[in-house]
Amino acid sequence: MSHSKDRKTDNMKEIASRLVEMAEKSGAIDADALAVSDTGENISVRNRKVESVEREDSCGIGLRAFVETPDGLAFASASSSDFSDDGMRRLVDQVIAMAGISAADPDAMPPSGAEHPTADELAAWNEKHQVESEWSLEAAKQAALECEAAALDYSDKIENSEGAEAGFGRAHVAYACADGFQGEYQKSSLGLSLSVIAGSGDQMQRDYAYSRARQVEKLKSPELIGQEAAERAIRRVGAHSISTRQTTVVFEPRMATSILGHLISAINGRSVLQKRSFLSESNGQVLFPEFVQVEDNPDHPEGLGNRLFDGEGTRCKQRTIIDSGRLTGFLTDRYAAARLKSEPTGHARRGLTGDTGIGSSNLILHPGKIDVDSMLQEIGDGILVTEMMGFGINGITGDYSRGAAGFLIENGVITQPINEITIASNLKKMFSNISHLGSDLTWFGSTAVPSIAISDMTVAGQE
Amino acid sequence: MNPDMNQTELPVAQETLSKMLDQMVPANADDADIYIEHGVSESLALEEGRVKHVSASTHQGMGARVIKGELSGHAYTDRLESPALMDCARAARAIAESGTSHAPIAIHTDKPQHQLYQATNPALTSSMPERKELLEKLDRLARNIDPRVKQVFANVSSSFSTVHLVRMDGNLLSDSRPLVRLNVSVVVEQNGKRETGSAGGGGRFDLSRLLEGSEAERLTREAVRLALLNLDAIPAPAGPMPVVLGPGWPGVLLHEAIGHGLEGDFNRKGSSAFAGKIGQRIAAPGITVVDDGSIAERRGSLNMDDEGTPTRCTTLIEDGILTAYMQDRQNARLMGVEPTGNGRRESYAHPILPRMTNTFMLAGNDDPKEILSTLKHGLYAVNFGGGQVDITSGKFVFSTSEAYLVENGEIKAPVKGATLIGNGPDVLTKVSMIGNDLELDPGVGTCGKDGQSVPVGVGQPTLKVDEMVVGGTDS
Repeated sequence: MSHSKDRKTDNMKEIASRLVEMAEKSGAIDADALAVSDTGENISVRNRKVESVEREDSCGIGLRAFVETPDGLAFASASSSDFSDDGMRRLVDQVIAMAGISAADPDAMPPSGAEHPTADELAAWNEKHQVESEWSLEAAKQAALECEAAALDYSDKIENSEGAEAGFGRAHVAYACADGFQGEYQKSSLGLSLSVIAGSGDQMQRDYAYSRARQVEKLKSPELIGQEAAERAIRRVGAHSISTRQTTVVFEPRMATSILGHLISAINGRSVLQKRSFLSESNGQVLFPEFVQVEDNPDHPEGLGNRLFDGEGTRCKQRTIIDSGRLTGFLTDRYAAARLKSEPTGHARRGLTGDTGIGSSNLILHPGKIDVDSMLQEIGDGILVTEMMGFGINGITGDYSRGAAGFLIENGVITQPINEITIASNLKKMFSNISHLGSDLTWFGSTAVPSIAISDMTVAGQE
Repeated sequence: MNPDMNQTELPVAQETLSKMLDQMVPANADDADIYIEHGVSESLALEEGRVKHVSASTHQGMGARVIKGELSGHAYTDRLESPALMDCARAARAIAESGTSHAPIAIHTDKPQHQLYQATNPALTSSMPERKELLEKLDRLARNIDPRVKQVFANVSSSFSTVHLVRMDGNLLSDSRPLVRLNVSVVVEQNGKRETGSAGGGGRFDLSRLLEGSEAERLTREAVRLALLNLDAIPAPAGPMPVVLGPGWPGVLLHEAIGHGLEGDFNRKGSSAFAGKIGQRIAAPGITVVDDGSIAERRGSLNMDDEGTPTRCTTLIEDGILTAYMQDRQNARLMGVEPTGNGRRESYAHPILPRMTNTFMLAGNDDPKEILSTLKHGLYAVNFGGGQVDITSGKFVFSTSEAYLVENGEIKAPVKGATLIGNGPDVLTKVSMIGNDLELDPGVGTCGKDGQSVPVGVGQPTLKVDEMVVGGTDS
């Protein structure tokens, strides 16, 4: 299913620049714009047959414009998918009119003047990060079929399949700012995933496995993904609840990514300045044991979060977020940095509409030296969490309570599958109670984490 | 502000649609449709006393779909120009074996069976400056209610989207869908301790109705009350105990515990813990649960679902017995039943899935006060955040945002937010009392499935569940 190259992607940078120019001519004192194009194909198979084929082709433009008012600068933003001259004109008029309604902010931070990468750096980046050739739909189909077959053939305990999915996506992003900066980059990713069911009736258990990468060669093999999903589902069969207790909880890498996610939310500069984070007053403090090191790396060979500049055109840099357990600072865009009286860290994240948000690039929690089996030996008794459910996290207090499933650890070994339990504590306490980091660093898109053991959590169960 | 604010006309010529059908529908197709969507949305957000965030978006696009048995082909584009549309039509067809096409199909328009909400943009009755003023008023109100209020966040959003659905036989159906939402959240501080509370409301009606009158003020007071309450909250208990759930939004219990598990796709594939259980008892006698997409102006309501099937009230559980699943057209056809008006998609760029609309339990006979009085030692949970379910194992969770420890029928103290976990297939068999106070939620629900979000409603009367695991820290 080949499709023609999108005519719009040829001049995305020009479209973004033109929007900025039009906004300035219409009275904006500053502006920036994005033009984005996404194409993708996806195929799903189930029970060894193709189930659905999807193809997507979409694009959008977004404009943010600042106007001067007696009380300072005010801004508004809007997006559309209409790239026609009339469509762009309407978008500009709409944004300027809305900016006139928006309230001025004395701390408003227009996009011009950010520390942008140079033209040479942009060229070098695009040279280094060339988009790989697409997966053909036929190759994706074969991978999905092989993946599912590997699980179905793994054991007759695999009773059912929710299917395998394989897909390819490509994005082209162009950014332009009123100070003349223009940047664009392309991104591609491939994904292969599978979910299967072991057991039957009231003892059905489902689990999944997946891989995402920029290149086909970096993707885990279909067989490995199939076997992993099958093994994971089978070992959960027979799970039951346990008695309520205080104990050590080991988060396997897949689950540990969320712990890192909670840290990033809590050190979001915008949340911090609004005192919406339990870490608002923790700058420079030791929050973790000394062996904990967290890094944000915007140019990593394994990461899917690579970027040269952020949502405001600020050059991204490698940053140590947690250094020997100590929080080195908050993540900021230009606005949060100005209000917190610090330097922008290049973490602005921007969609087509709305103000900038804040987010990490590639986040890495450095692994420990101990393999997981030895780690469980050292822990003795506890639980290993392999699935979590729900959103019971209070970002302002750090209170933490989630549903979980996994395995009981007794005398240093995994003994039985468990489910219908909750795990609870407070994130600040959980951070300082990290007792072990495994050596099993694993990448999940733009996050890399090892297994994390956290002592003294409340596990509630049916007894 | 935008000349297209109230556009509901089909943005593509009928002849183009007719040509697309010729290109995309093979003679052996079981079903096929073209879904064209266009709309506008606006949002104003206040923080730190100012409406600093004003934004809008205009969207349009088309999804083409061809179905044969369990197989389906989909193609999406946001370019509503003839070559892109034809390209899309051919891509959707690629799944089916080549074969002869239908005779040319003429487009004929039809009307949905009901009109549950206005077919005009809900934002037209309230100018942006009026909305801004209201948010500023709510900010002042919140700060005046209690000096411990340190931050106020308020957001008003509206959208107006029109869907044009062309069936394989050339039948063209349209549905214009308004949706509004107001949300207020506050941060309070006392002795260095901070807490938050939030409240929201909305539905498919005019923005002026949401913003005028006392509702906006009531939501603001509610957000402040919840935040202050949480300042005094003690750690939630940990372990199994009886739980009394309040009416309205706690119906998220039903949505997670049984709702998702009763969606047709999971049951056709046998991956739901409820598969094959039609006709069996899955809830205590007296319990009747319905999914009703045809209630006027509710957030989860639609005149027709995204496949053109009229929405209706489907009884899922009748007096404790499982009676039906929720179906889209493909799963209904494969299971040999009627579609129930539950085929939904987040946008033109997403596939159809069987989804809930407004899911709720009908009222029982018990006095809510009496239900609470029977609680010896347990939790009284009045308000919740979100929830989640594993439809295969049946385990589900939802998290409290307002809950109290109860001893001998008396409320002792508010407790911190905690996750409640249960088993979907048997939690409703543990319901021992059903209140006479059915309430629907205030219009804030959004449901996620396979990465797609759609607006939904929930509801229930006060319920007593004899045992659930409460996931606090106080063991």
